[in-house]
Amino acid sequence: MLLPFFAWCESLAMSQAYRDSTYLFPVTQALHLLAVTVFVGAIVIGDLRLLGWGPVGQSRASVVRSAQRVLLWAGLAVLVTGIPQFTTNALTYHRSWLFILKMWVLAAALLFTATVRHRVAVADEGRLASWVPRVVGAVSLVLWMGVTISGRLINYYG
Amino acid sequence: MLSIVPTFAWLEGLAWTTALRESPYGYPLIETSHVAFIVIFAGLVMMMDLRLVGLAFRHVPLAQIQQRLFRWQMGAFVPSMGTGILLFLVDPLRYYQNVFFIAKLLFLVLAGLNALVFHLKTYRKGETWDEDPHVIVTAWRAGAASLLLWSVTIVASRLIPNNWFK
Repeated sequence: MLLPFFAWCESLAMSQAYRDSTYLFPVTQALHLLAVTVFVGAIVIGDLRLLGWGPVGQSRASVVRSAQRVLLWAGLAVLVTGIPQFTTNALTYHRSWLFILKMWVLAAALLFTATVRHRVAVADEGRLASWVPRVVGAVSLVLWMGVTISGRLINYYG
Repeated sequence: MLSIVPTFAWLEGLAWTTALRESPYGYPLIETSHVAFIVIFAGLVMMMDLRLVGLAFRHVPLAQIQQRLFRWQMGAFVPSMGTGILLFLVDPLRYYQNVFFIAKLLFLVLAGLNALVFHLKTYRKGETWDEDPHVIVTAWRAGAASLLLWSVTIVASRLIPNNWFK
């Protein structure tokens, strides 16, 4: 169903420029990893706080809110560096079960972070049972590490 | 002149390094674990650096963020080093002359030295960090240097498969 869209992505002038250049694709990959590192750092510091570790002298809400700005900027950089990597080899990704898995886990992680994780993080600390933020922190960690690991494995088993 | 190449060739020829290199799962799983641990480790270091330069977590006292994140940084650093050494041992002849691999090691050492100097010079002042203007300036410099050094280390490590300078 999505095949024409993937074919269109691969036919873009930008995709061709990436395929023709020796340096463009690897440098974009490297910057993508850097952006992912900052993004994961901002997620993990919030998740550690939800788990009851990390900077516990601060409220869950203040740690997660402070990480949010970093998350947004790093997320933007992940997107900007990720899109050309996808369009350059879109038809290969169309056949990759790991890429499809990564996209599903990414969608779940984004949805979970924007809804459940955010609501639990900003809720009054006394209002929730102590296991709730812990479970939310653990689920968030598993989802985001799932995105990172499946993305990396595409190189080998794509 | 004594060459290290025979030692690397010997390492590469060992039964267990050959098995890991040729296994469809061995090398990919070690490399993926290496990347996952580095991302957690360097990500947490960079969160501390962003605090040191005053770009994020400004409400968290400097001393607290350093103390509370240190064990988690080390918890990810040790397995990332372990898997990194394993990756090198499995395929040493591929890496030892690779410019990006050498750059990665160099910047890794510089980042480590930067952290060590900051730790030794500033750490003892503990709770007074946030009131001492000298510490704030030192912390800003250390944080900015660390951000730069870790960024270059990560970029270099991702460029290792592209040995453009043979």
